[in-house]
Amino acid sequence: MSNFWSWWVIALIVFNLVVTFSLFLWAPRAKVPTQPDGTTGHVWAHGVLREGMHRLPRWWIALSLAMFLAAFAYLALYPGFGNHAGLLRWTSRDQLERDVAANRARLAATLREFGGVPVETLAGDPGARAMGLVLFRDNCAACHGPDGHGNLLLGAPNLADDDWLYGGDGEAILTSILDGRHGVMPAWGAQFGEADIDSLAHYVLSLSGAPHDAAKALAGQALFGVCAACHGADGRGNPALGAPNLTDTIWLYGGDPETIRSSIRDGRGGVMPSWRARLGPERARVLAAYVYSLSRRSRPTVH
Amino acid sequence: MAYRHFEFIEKHAWLLGGLTALMVSLGGLAEITPLFIQAHRVAPPAGVRPYDALRLAGRDVYVREGCYLCHSQMIRALRFETERYGPYSTASESVYDRPFQWGSKRTGPDLARIGGKYSDDWHRLHLMDPRQVVAQSNMPGYPWLALALVDGKDLQARMRVLRTLGDPYSDADIRSAAKAVAGKTELDALIAYLQGLGLAGGTEPAGVAGTAAPAAGGPS
Repeated sequence: MSNFWSWWVIALIVFNLVVTFSLFLWAPRAKVPTQPDGTTGHVWAHGVLREGMHRLPRWWIALSLAMFLAAFAYLALYPGFGNHAGLLRWTSRDQLERDVAANRARLAATLREFGGVPVETLAGDPGARAMGLVLFRDNCAACHGPDGHGNLLLGAPNLADDDWLYGGDGEAILTSILDGRHGVMPAWGAQFGEADIDSLAHYVLSLSGAPHDAAKALAGQALFGVCAACHGADGRGNPALGAPNLTDTIWLYGGDPETIRSSIRDGRGGVMPSWRARLGPERARVLAAYVYSLSRRSRPTVH
Repeated sequence: MAYRHFEFIEKHAWLLGGLTALMVSLGGLAEITPLFIQAHRVAPPAGVRPYDALRLAGRDVYVREGCYLCHSQMIRALRFETERYGPYSTASESVYDRPFQWGSKRTGPDLARIGGKYSDDWHRLHLMDPRQVVAQSNMPGYPWLALALVDGKDLQARMRVLRTLGDPYSDADIRSAAKAVAGKTELDALIAYLQGLGLAGGTEPAGVAGTAAPAAGGPS
């Protein structure tokens, strides 16, 4: 704030306090002329209503004085009186930094303790899971759902099952969180005609034993060579590439014929963002432990 | 001051009203006037530039649809806000927002640093029908945004107006604006706007509570 505006603010505060504080000091002592009947003589409604005269109660005076004193103390201690920074030198930014540091100190011991622990072991720790749940709800639930069941419309995988695109061990999950993933299924629409795409779709359906047209599946099998590069000759996928297993009944985008045709024709590009900058490695590890625990929740033992 | 002065004020309604108004306005004069008069002195921090054509169109959609009624764009300097949303907002980040979108009510979450947090596909599904991605959401869907194209000519006129207000758009910026938004729907524009929110600002203090400003660009 420039000097002019600083003095502007100071002038307004001083004016305000001088006016109100003088009134406060003067009012209890003011001599109010009263009539013999004890009223001020002000009348309304032809004398039906008359203004009585009472001294201000003591509690009111005490309370007002306390508020004036609080105002004077506040202006001395905290910023507000123009550019006067206040004797405490308080700022909201410093306050935030103190709060953040205090919270970090509170969590430091716990996070350090979690730091070197393998994700699989950490998943057995109720405290880590509780912390992971909070991080999950805030950062992951938007795509993977509040319970981690995923979203077919986004191609966000179900995290609560046993099927993993990039591997389900603790380190693989942690890497997925920290660095993100970008699953690319190329579009084959230009290479194959609609009939070939339909055949391929039926072959893919046959892999998981879903209802399909056997003749089309046979024709599709002959075309599957290009798909095998990523999904494997047997269609079991490849975790190194994030290529999904086509022989199970778990679908990333949906397992009906039209969705499969669309995946082949137009391709897919599933994006898991990188969370390294937002979360940092310590919190990501706690989160990975929670995600790891999701898929093992139904089982009695952690392997 | 004697009682008769006091009585004089009390018995003259206009005088009483005028003096009351004067005392009541002191707070506003001290709080609002200096910042109001000095608003032009707020300089944009490094990296904050006027909205490009598509994002500007998206910002106008944001204002038109009243997003600010439920979403704020101001992260306060409080720990539980910076933990959840990222570094606190500064006035200088909003120099090119006319009017600013700080908002005063959060039915939905703050959006000041939403840029890059979700993918474009997520935003598309979410704006068409929020329940597709967040089952318990009470946000309305905005499916008509996918049906309306951005009007490039109108956008150029708006950019010229912003230039007269001081936004540094060049002639080339305005000329290329119509081409930049050709064929884009209002949904595309709004997503582009959302994906850019908060990317440039929030550099101080770096990494509050381990939540550094999201990396520029973001997914997809």
